[in-house]
Amino acid sequence: MKTTRTIFQEGSHKWVAIVRDPQRPNHLIDTNEYLVTHGDQGILLDPGGAEVFPAVFSALSTEFDPSALAAVFASHQDPDICSSLALWLEFNPDMRCYISWLWSSFVPHFGGRADTFVAIPDQGMDIPLAGLSLQALPAHYLHSPGNFHLYDQTARILFSGDVGAALLPVGQDGLFVENFDQHIRHAEAFHRRWMGSNEAKRRWCERVSQLDVDLLCPQHGAIYRGADVQRFIDWFDDLPVGIVDA
Amino acid sequence: MSTAPVPADQSGAGADLLRIVRINEEVKKVVGVAFKINIMALNAIFLAKRAGTAALGFGVLSNELRVFSQDLRACMSGLTALIHGGVNDVSVVLQDIRHSRLLRQAAALAPASAAGRVLRQRELVNEAHARKLAALRRQLKLALEDAFQIVELGGVLAKSAKIEAAYGQGFAGSLSQVSAEFDGVVEEIRGSLEALRRSVFFSAGQASREWI
Repeated sequence: MKTTRTIFQEGSHKWVAIVRDPQRPNHLIDTNEYLVTHGDQGILLDPGGAEVFPAVFSALSTEFDPSALAAVFASHQDPDICSSLALWLEFNPDMRCYISWLWSSFVPHFGGRADTFVAIPDQGMDIPLAGLSLQALPAHYLHSPGNFHLYDQTARILFSGDVGAALLPVGQDGLFVENFDQHIRHAEAFHRRWMGSNEAKRRWCERVSQLDVDLLCPQHGAIYRGADVQRFIDWFDDLPVGIVDA
Repeated sequence: MSTAPVPADQSGAGADLLRIVRINEEVKKVVGVAFKINIMALNAIFLAKRAGTAALGFGVLSNELRVFSQDLRACMSGLTALIHGGVNDVSVVLQDIRHSRLLRQAAALAPASAAGRVLRQRELVNEAHARKLAALRRQLKLALEDAFQIVELGGVLAKSAKIEAAYGQGFAGSLSQVSAEFDGVVEEIRGSLEALRRSVFFSAGQASREWI
């Protein structure tokens, strides 16, 4: 079973990271899921693959009633992001799935009705959650051509999908980045290969630099906090991407 | 029909899917052979006409064999439609199994959550799917028996054609050759249908509830 860690709380407004499953088979990439709650509603960010559903579900259930999930936010279309969709819908068939318009007819292959999907336009949109407004920010081509991150202005948290992701070795997989220089070595190859566009990367770095971000939360690896957030943005800005030695 | 056994580690709906795919391949083979009989029967009709009064009986039987091939093709196309439905139903059951496995694990990890309730609802849906598959299995078995009856008749016609060929006077050699070909082809179809009859797919329905 995964563990839950509350990374922000202000009244009923809460961010919970669902992370690190010791029983996870090695052939499945490790993922982080994030639950944002406000009032009596919740939204689950990148709900994860079908095979990790039991671990994510059971961890989430310790914090929140899964049938009260109003929505899931899928940063993009990959199976580790949202192949569990049909299982979450069992708990609330009226739940919505926010995803780029580009994928809104592809991801239904994982499950859901026509009205399950809310197609996010390229420029992004506000996502309401019981009076709270979350912003879907464009992050196209990082890595998916239809890709969004989610920004919570009140909590000053940016969910950054695969940006900031690191494939951490056992024993160095803490929840937060503790030593940036050591950590970033585990992120470099991933970003060089997976991020397809230097132009898209530059735009993202410019956009995110203008936001107040205390926590930058990727879908894999550790969370960047405080000064490490800007450190990461600067590092990413300098990194040539879209490269493969073949 | 492929005699390769379904792998030992393949159980339940996975093995069933493999079996029904093999049944489908065998049915396709029979459809091809039935088409061949149609052409053979047409040639036999022309041959009988050339032989004249000496091959009147053979001509009648050739006509009947042509009707047989058309009946067999119609029967096989019904069987094919049922098989396509079966592939779909077995696939649904396979999906149900995975879904239920994951929900069961979630319920075990979070016993106080809604997972137990959702799992029970899911199991009701699964049972409905399993019942639909069991009904289709029975339908498929009946359709196969119908095909078998038609082939039995085809066998009788082919044997009678062999006898009639003997009265073909100057054409007896040609007529015998054609009727032997009929007999061989009908036996080939019979062999295919026998293999289909033996498929574990038709008895696996009893175990279908265990997969859920």
